[in-house]
Amino acid sequence: MIQPPAAEGDHLVRLEDVHKWFGNHHVLKGVNLTMHQRDVLVVIGPSGSGKSTLLRCVNMLEIPTRGRVWFEGQDITDIRCDLNEVRTHIGLVFQAFNLFPHMTALRNITVALERVLKLPSAYAKARATEQLERVGMAHKAQAFPGQLSGGQQQRVAIARALAMQPKLMLFDEVTSALDPELVGEVLEVMIRLAGDGMTMMVVTHEMGFAREVGTKMLFMDEGVVVEEGEPREMFYRPTSDRLRQFLAKVL
Amino acid sequence: MAVTEAPLVEPEVAPDVRGPTAPLPATILGLGIAAFAIVVAGVLISQVNYGLSDRVLTQSCIDQDVAPTDNGAVGVCNIVEALADPVTTWSLMIGIGIGAVAIVLGLATYRRMDSKRRRDHAVTGAIMGVHAITLAVALLWFRSGTPALFTKHFLNFADLEGYGGAFLLGARNTLLLAFLGELGGVIIGLVLGMLSLSQRGAVRAPARMYINFFRGTPLIWQLVAGYFVLLFGFQIRLSAFVAATIVFALNTGAYAAEVFRAGIQSIERGQMEAARSLGMSYLEAMRYAIVPQAVRRVIPPLMNEFVILIKDTALVIALGLTASEYDILTTAKEGQAATFNFTFFTVAAIAYLVVTLPLIRLVNAAEKRLRSGLVGIAGAAG
Repeated sequence: MIQPPAAEGDHLVRLEDVHKWFGNHHVLKGVNLTMHQRDVLVVIGPSGSGKSTLLRCVNMLEIPTRGRVWFEGQDITDIRCDLNEVRTHIGLVFQAFNLFPHMTALRNITVALERVLKLPSAYAKARATEQLERVGMAHKAQAFPGQLSGGQQQRVAIARALAMQPKLMLFDEVTSALDPELVGEVLEVMIRLAGDGMTMMVVTHEMGFAREVGTKMLFMDEGVVVEEGEPREMFYRPTSDRLRQFLAKVL
Repeated sequence: MAVTEAPLVEPEVAPDVRGPTAPLPATILGLGIAAFAIVVAGVLISQVNYGLSDRVLTQSCIDQDVAPTDNGAVGVCNIVEALADPVTTWSLMIGIGIGAVAIVLGLATYRRMDSKRRRDHAVTGAIMGVHAITLAVALLWFRSGTPALFTKHFLNFADLEGYGGAFLLGARNTLLLAFLGELGGVIIGLVLGMLSLSQRGAVRAPARMYINFFRGTPLIWQLVAGYFVLLFGFQIRLSAFVAATIVFALNTGAYAAEVFRAGIQSIERGQMEAARSLGMSYLEAMRYAIVPQAVRRVIPPLMNEFVILIKDTALVIALGLTASEYDILTTAKEGQAATFNFTFFTVAAIAYLVVTLPLIRLVNAAEKRLRSGLVGIAGAAG
């Protein structure tokens, strides 16, 4: 299931000395990271450690106060960069799903295909249906988000991001808002996605997922990357005290 | 860890301190309602009785300045004499008596009722008693003064004969003013609301200035200034009706802008983030994701603005409307000027209520529907 990392050099994402302040609050204190094609990068850490902010910096939903973000070799922190275009290549799935409540599941997906990618309606519908099938939600295409369970909404949200055919998928604590019995169906979709070779960055509290699916892991605390490496290695032989303490609490 | 078994203790039965259950909750409710009904029925029976029979002007009416030559003098006098009729007097007295009994019984026993429903009966009975007494005393006080004088000026409907069509036209014009004003206001408001949400101060500033100006100056000033500035300052001769419609639209635009701004701000941040993460521009996100949701949320407050505007259109009385443009209040004023009968204003109030009350009910229903969350699903076919 785990794909070997691609050759060095063709990195998809690179962050260099990324800082983020919210007012006086220093959330990210100089983060560096590199992601290659087919990487499944898992980010763990206590709440408030800056993991979500880091993830949101990758598609510039949060603009770094300092530092650079490269996507496919392009500096997307450059003011001249067309972020709308860049974001069509980066799928983002939120903790709170954020489906559009006034649109059906299908329309949630086709709206961006038609309005942003300018696909003809029939083609957009076909592509959306294909992705709904992929997450096992084709039978709910005409349902509104309010009529779906949390797990179903999140699967539609994943399909919505996938339909854009992104080169990178970002998952921001996507199972944290779900009832425990609904977590499995979402994780299953993500595991299959990783198996298909999708490049993914996953902020999560699901340690099992991190260990089994991740090809690379970051442990963050107080805005810095404390430790990074191969997930199993980090779980079994944490080098820093902070990671050891964190793992003792969550495992 | 083993669960330690709690020792079985015979629970001590608390003594029943509730005391005996009070009797007669339904009787108290019945008394309260009866008191109120007797007051109302007695008055109505007398009024109908006097209204339907042939009467003449009495000396007491003439003493109160109702002249035999006054249009509708007998009708006015009938209302007053019916109030003084023994049937009315007795029903008022009986109503006060029964009402007092309901109050005393209700307040004395409601704490000892053995169910919520019975307690409510006792309390409601007492409250109805209060209503009955209040109404009866008010009527007694009214008829002890100069009721004929009051009735002659404010409840003399004789002069209104032939004004039905005028009031209908007035209602149409009032609604037309309010509807066109609201329509223009909503369009202006949506644009201004979006501008006032801009990140750029340079975009926000003019929108804020507009909103503050129209919210901060009296509507009647805006009406008069708008009309006369155009007329004398620019030699633009618009009919007062058209000028007023424009001013109402401009004014409502400022309020609607605030409604739209609040509506857009009430949409969760995640919606904008989701739209942007799909590659939509800010304007595309607004158009496809945010505004359609905001529009549903602002329908009740905008309808509320519409009700307010219906009443505010009465301010056109300050401009010179031509006869075919008269709104409700101007119609009443013209009628009053022609007859020196203030009953026209009584009818104007009724006319406004006929228009506004159903709308107020509609606003409440819409708010309720929105709060129940149905709108997000039901109104979303597009």
